[in-house]
Order: sequence, then C-alpha cells, then structure tokens
Amino acid sequence: MIDSALVVDRGVTARDEWITVPAERVRDALAALKKDGYRLLVFLSCVDHLVDSSRAFAARYEVIYQLRDLEKPADLRVRAFIDGDPPRIDSVHDIFPPANWDERETYDMFGVVFTGHPDLTRILMPDDWVGHPLRRDYPVGGEVVEFSEEHEIWQTAPDEA
Amino acid sequence: MIESPGVTVSRTGEQGAFGGELLTVNFGPHHPSTHGVLRLIVDLDGEQIRRVQPVIGYLHTGIEKQMEALRWQQGVVVTDRHDYLSPPINNLAYALAVEKLMGVEVPPRAQVLRVIMSELTRLSSHLVWMGTSGLELGAMSMLMYCFRERDTIMDLNEEISGFRMHTSYIRPGGVMADSTPRFLEMLDKFIREMPGHIDEYEDLLTMNPIWRARTIGIGRLPAEDAKVLGASGPMLRGSGVAWDLRKSIPYSGYETYDFEIAVSNDCDCYGRYLVRIKEMREAVKILRQALDRLPDGPVNVDDRKMLPPPREELETSMEAVIHHFKLFTEGYSVPPGDAYVAVESGRGENGCYIASDGTHKPRRVKFRSASFVNLQALERMALNHMIADMIAIIGTADTVLGDCDR
Repeated sequence: MIDSALVVDRGVTARDEWITVPAERVRDALAALKKDGYRLLVFLSCVDHLVDSSRAFAARYEVIYQLRDLEKPADLRVRAFIDGDPPRIDSVHDIFPPANWDERETYDMFGVVFTGHPDLTRILMPDDWVGHPLRRDYPVGGEVVEFSEEHEIWQTAPDEA
Repeated sequence: MIESPGVTVSRTGEQGAFGGELLTVNFGPHHPSTHGVLRLIVDLDGEQIRRVQPVIGYLHTGIEKQMEALRWQQGVVVTDRHDYLSPPINNLAYALAVEKLMGVEVPPRAQVLRVIMSELTRLSSHLVWMGTSGLELGAMSMLMYCFRERDTIMDLNEEISGFRMHTSYIRPGGVMADSTPRFLEMLDKFIREMPGHIDEYEDLLTMNPIWRARTIGIGRLPAEDAKVLGASGPMLRGSGVAWDLRKSIPYSGYETYDFEIAVSNDCDCYGRYLVRIKEMREAVKILRQALDRLPDGPVNVDDRKMLPPPREELETSMEAVIHHFKLFTEGYSVPPGDAYVAVESGRGENGCYIASDGTHKPRRVKFRSASFVNLQALERMALNHMIADMIAIIGTADTVLGDCDR
C-alpha cells in the first residue's frame, strides 16, 4: 500500500479515481503504486492552469500520470503540482519505460524539465523551435505562413530610406 | 566509402561483430513503407540492425493546441484528423470523454450506431494495413482486393454522414444523424459478403510462402516486453496478452456483444497479422449483432442546452430559436474537472483526456495515441534483424504517423 504521507489529496471526478502526491516525492509515490499493481503507465501529460478561477490549484502546472492495474482492471490518476521557471520534476522513465517519450513531449510542449531523463530533447517540434506551444500564454497566430503574401513581404528587405 | 545523401558513415568508429565499423543509415522520412513521415536513424553492422532511433514530429499539426481554441462541439472535427485511418473511433473517444465529464448518457440507438461505425472503421483500418503491408512485402494484388472492400466502407460512411473519410459522425450527445434505410440495406449486404472476402485474403496470404518467409520469426516482441513497453492493440495481442479494452473496460455497450479477443502466441509479425485477420472476422460478427438489435428511438440526448433543436421547431418556438442562437454563438460549457476515456482503435488504446475550466472551450485536450507508444517498441522488435526486415516490422506495428505526432 502507498504510504499515506505520500497522498496529499484523493478523490473521484467523473468516475475517475485520482490522488495528488507531493511533486518532490513523485518517484517514491509511483514506485509504491507500481508495487501495488498499477504496472502500466497509460500516459503522462501536463495541464497549464494559468488564470483558471474555476477551482483552487496548488501551482500552475499539473503533471498527470494515468496508471492502470491490468489485473483488476482499474485506473488511477496521479497528480503533482509544480511551479517555477522552468518547472522541474523528477523523471520516472526508469520506473515506467513508456514515460520516456511522454516526458520528452511534455518538455517540448510545456517546458517541464524532467530531472534525470537521459535525452530530454524536443520530440514533436523542430529542434530550433523557441517556446513551448501548449502553455496557455504562448502567442497564437504569431507565425507567418510560409509562401503567403505576408511571408514574401517579410522576406523582402526594406528599401533604404 | 562513398557518402551519398541520406547515408552517412558512422563517426564513432564503433566496431561491429563482423570486423567492420558500424554504419549509421538514415531511413526516411519519405520512405513509402513508413506510412507517413517517420525517420529512423539505424546503426548497421553489416546488414544487421544494432540500434534504431525513431525521429518523429514531421506530421505534427498542433491538434491539441487547436482544440483549445475551438468550442466543445467544434472540436469533433479536429479529432477526425489525427488518426486519419480511424476517424469515428477518435470521435468516439472525444465524445465519451465530454459525456463522462458532463454526466450524459446517450440513447440506446445512438450507442448501437456508434458500435456499428467503430467496427466498420476497425475493418477499414485493418484493410488499409493489410493492403499496404502486402504491397511492401511483395503481395501486390492485396492492395487492390483490400481497397475494393474499403471503398464499400467509404460508401457506407458517405451514406450515413455525407463524408467518405472524416465523418465527424459521432459527437458529444449522440451521433450526427439517424441512419437511413438505404444505409441499413447496404450494411446488411456488406456483412453478408465480408466473411467471403476475408477468406479470399487468407487464401492469398496465410499460406503464401513469401509472406510467411518475410513475417514468421521477424520482429519478435515477447509478452513481458510488450507489457513493460506499454504496447497495446494488435501489438500486445500478437504477443499473447489477451487485453482488449472492449472487454476489459467496456464502453458503448460492448459488454453485451458476443465476440472473442483475437490473440496469437507467435509474438512476431505473422502473429500480428493473424490477430488482425481474426479481429476482422470478430468485427463482422459484432456488426451482425448490432444490426439485428438496432433499437428504435432518438439518436441524440434530449438536452436543448447541448444539442440544437430540430429544424421544424425553430419556426414555431421562440425558446428553440434562443437555444439555437446560444449554441451556435457561445456553445455549451462543461463542468470543471477532468476525465479520461480509452477506446480500442485498430491500432490499440486511443484515449482522450480532457480538462475543463467550466467554460465553453476546453482547458486541455490530450490524445493518448497508440502509435506513439507502440513506436517505442520498434527498437526492441528490430534488434539484430536485417535492414530489409525493417519494412515488415514497421508495417506490422501499423503506426499512423498523424496519430503519433498529432
């Protein structure tokens, strides 16, 4: 059984069971849950709660681990709240191998740094991309469309005054 | 050694088992067998594969970001387009997630129509897989046979939704429109003919010596590894693990249908082929049961706050006009919270996670795509095989890169 000190909060939302764990001890919590039978990490992702007044959140970024017990079967969502620039949390790729790419994706999209990840590089966006697109404060529509008229203007050097 | 575009000599100077250096070869991203744009960096020792590093992201279209800018009912259109071989199943995952968070239950007729569309999609997805994989491994005529039946499924899609590929048929709160009598006739004819066609495919492939030589013993993925790597769908069942979300965590009333989980203990490319053939037969079985039990009744929830009123009401009821106006200007809002729903697509577990902040647009939509996770098992499967077997391995993993990159 997972140590009760590792569970900050627990509940059920829309028939989904979830627990909140302290972000600095996420590795302990997930290792304990794996021993409890939750042997599959279905996905790992993040939600950016920037300016969300519908509920109270402990921090801006909520990292989500969806775990599954294949024997029962039962799902459990593990939440960890983190803040900071960049936000940091421990990597769990050695506990759950599928987390490897999911962590890279979350880094790419949210800029969450997974400490201890062997190869934390961008996975979906180009390597030279600036910014993390799924953050809520990422400017939308700022990219000039290639081969468009605007792009042509943008590419043309201005006349000397 | 000659350096040509796409092929670079390994700079590491690492020695292989055959006395030569390891050769790093770039494979893709525009290779016909990659079913999209997948790039692999392969380290070769002679012709044997020692390391595989998939590079993805070439088909990233920012679907999750787009969904944040669309209202809940508009998002359905985008879900069609990430896994472009199984649009209705993606619609279903999204619709179920929204309904779960809103606490809405769709009427029985809509449930059955959803199952019919899901199974048709599974068939069409497997047909594309079989046609293209056959083509790659030398069975050219497979493509013609498979696309013939796929076209019938496209006609069915067109009849029920007006669209051949991206149907957007399954929506939060029900389905787009009721089935037409002609659709049911066409479906009945299709169900009667399909088992014969599957026999035809089996005649062409199952005992075909070339097909067997290229798939048996290739791309081995033992059950334990498949579980650890999080593989799902035919990849997992082809490794002998009887896990199917339609049985284990049923949705849309799948628990009431009589069908078997297709499993093969071969753990190789041939096993995955057998699983897909069996799944196609089971899909036809489910379609027959669904068609026989299709109940009468509405196909949408009776909630004017979620779905627009019928056209005829607009002319007589002021309230209907208000609802219509509100829905098409503002949309409906979903209570704060989050929900995850997983459905079994042709490729495995395609789930949808949504988080709402109580407004009329999603806070976050995340698609858990089977291709993304299954692709991580590629290195395990390809290790110590010949470079030519890579085609069979990528083929039978059946990744759709649009789904992988989203």
